[in-house]
Amino acid sequence: MKPSNLKLALHLAPTLGILLILLGASLAYGLAQSLGYLTIIGEKELSLSAYQNLISGQGTAGREFWVSLGFSLWISLASTILSTIGALFLATLLNRRPSRIDTFALNWNLAFPHLVWGVLMLLLLSQSGLLARWAGAFGIINTPADFPVLVRDRFGFGIILTYIGKEVPFLTLVTLALLRTQSEGYLLVAENLGANAWQRFRLVTLPLVRPALLSGALLVFAYIFGAYEVPALLGVRYPRTLPVLALEAFTNPDLHARAEGMAISLIIALIVLVIAGLARAKEGIQE
Amino acid sequence: MKRFIFAILVLSMLLVGCGQTNESAAEFDIADWDSVLVAANGQTVNWYMWGGSDSINAYVDNFYGVALKERYNITLNRVPVADAADYINQVLSEKEAGVKNGAVDLMWINGENFFTLKQAEMLYPDWAQAIPNSVLVDWDNPAINRDFGEPVDNLESPWSSAQFQFIYDSARMDADSLPRSYADLAVWACGHPGRFTYIASGPGAFQGTRFVKGALFEISGDAAQWGTIDEALWDEWSPKVWDYFNEFKSCLWREGETYPKDEYELHSLFANNEVDFSITQAIVGAGALIDEGLVPETSRAFVFDNYMIGDFNYVAIPSNASNKAAALVLANLILEPEFQAAQVLPENGFGLGFGIDVTRVSDPAQVAVLEEALQNLGEAATPAEDMAKSLVGDAASPYQAMVEEGWRENVLIGQ
Repeated sequence: MKPSNLKLALHLAPTLGILLILLGASLAYGLAQSLGYLTIIGEKELSLSAYQNLISGQGTAGREFWVSLGFSLWISLASTILSTIGALFLATLLNRRPSRIDTFALNWNLAFPHLVWGVLMLLLLSQSGLLARWAGAFGIINTPADFPVLVRDRFGFGIILTYIGKEVPFLTLVTLALLRTQSEGYLLVAENLGANAWQRFRLVTLPLVRPALLSGALLVFAYIFGAYEVPALLGVRYPRTLPVLALEAFTNPDLHARAEGMAISLIIALIVLVIAGLARAKEGIQE
Repeated sequence: MKRFIFAILVLSMLLVGCGQTNESAAEFDIADWDSVLVAANGQTVNWYMWGGSDSINAYVDNFYGVALKERYNITLNRVPVADAADYINQVLSEKEAGVKNGAVDLMWINGENFFTLKQAEMLYPDWAQAIPNSVLVDWDNPAINRDFGEPVDNLESPWSSAQFQFIYDSARMDADSLPRSYADLAVWACGHPGRFTYIASGPGAFQGTRFVKGALFEISGDAAQWGTIDEALWDEWSPKVWDYFNEFKSCLWREGETYPKDEYELHSLFANNEVDFSITQAIVGAGALIDEGLVPETSRAFVFDNYMIGDFNYVAIPSNASNKAAALVLANLILEPEFQAAQVLPENGFGLGFGIDVTRVSDPAQVAVLEEALQNLGEAATPAEDMAKSLVGDAASPYQAMVEEGWRENVLIGQ
């Protein structure tokens, strides 16, 4: 190890130490509970029954496990793909006319927590929300039920819409940061050689931003997959995302249900870790 | 290096923080109430309760807080919490961490939380029938000595009572056109598609579960038979209950695709004119909700002719509470007839019913105060005779989970 590396390691040691202790202890504790080690009710025998319940679709939370997994994947995939596409186009568009106002607007959006964004969507888009009231005032609809179901819908459109509203600005900033450090030269050369707008986008811009955008998208996916608040606020009673299902099992009046809740949490953590690892590997290639 | 020292300091502070213990509480003997009062003198009682209602918070501070200070030199620290499950978890975590002097002294709980803490053996035992005012409580009443069907076993003491009721808007509907049974309700719902829904049955949403239980009672024609667990009876009647709910599912709000998750979501649908009924447990009916601005001022409460489940809610003391004496004094204070009378009056903001049995109060002046309070429940309350006529007790405790599981499997998810 080079001396500078050693110094770096020493500098990071306190932070990493605390993080590892806290995270490691939580993980170990979660793993123990998922295996049925529930000291609060005197259960000390380890078993895989919580995991068996999930896989076989039985038990308090296990009954909904596969549906929830599919629903979580749908929400995360749809939000990520749509946000990435949106960010790509927005960044390409903004890159041609640099200004401070756009980055300010994008940063401003980042300052809002997802929860606030979710509440906003609810107030705006629910069947008795602001838009529905305007529609009613203008005589477009007669009763709240005439307004289309945009939030708390079975397909999670409201959740996906919320995430798109939050993640497009995030990914746009990531992409713009990269684009604006590149010289204008590539695009000018391509333009001089007769490339049209689509060709310039496909052959110049896209290859430039792809690695950063892809790892950004993976992070977004991992975040959405593990997030609780937006699906809890804007979701329906069934199907539910995995984090919502996990917390309900954890707070179930019957303490035995905690094992399943913890098992779901660990499965979420595992999937998120794999995705984050992929993102990390992508960044490695990029470097 | 400085940073390293700082980190060590932070870590050591964390460790010290974990190991810190309070002074052990003064000794007392619950059989000798004066010794409890002496021990409680100067203590602060940390009362953890659901804090989502400003009017209930104000009632607790203005009535109990003031009286505790003036009469017993006890400071009330009301800790408002978003969900009872949060302080249940606090107590459970303290048990796992081996904390002897817990943060929670008294908790307002319902049958679900009671079941959890009883299962974890985290309740201070043998006190509820030992406090002086427990003589005012009708401990022989199964509705009191069982909480959501689970035996109370001297582990918690009642605070107030509640009964399942519906709310309608008198500006939108005539009292004559209200459904008065579950059978009526299904007909009404299909005559008014999309205008009715109920709270999803499930853990943490007992109002929804109670609504389903009422249907079980009506369809089977008898509430009392559900007081003890009987698998054969369940197998006979539960499929008919799921049929009942599935038959009018498509007439519900959002065609039964989803349901409100708690009473506040339902109140908001009702207030926004998306549905025509809400649900409440309060003895003052819609009164307290009107004062909070959650439902229209013309809202009124009503009940079906039968099978409206009524029960009590309780306070309990965690076995690791730091200020048990003060918690006992507070649990005793809330049973005083003067406060029992105050809690039912809508203008005081609490709005739940008596926890005590009025016939056990001997002082005629106190009886008069209690009876006068009952005469002043406000126009948003369900008429007392309707309430009494429709009152039934809860089913035995295993039915709670059976109803919730069955409803989810057969009605929410469906075939």
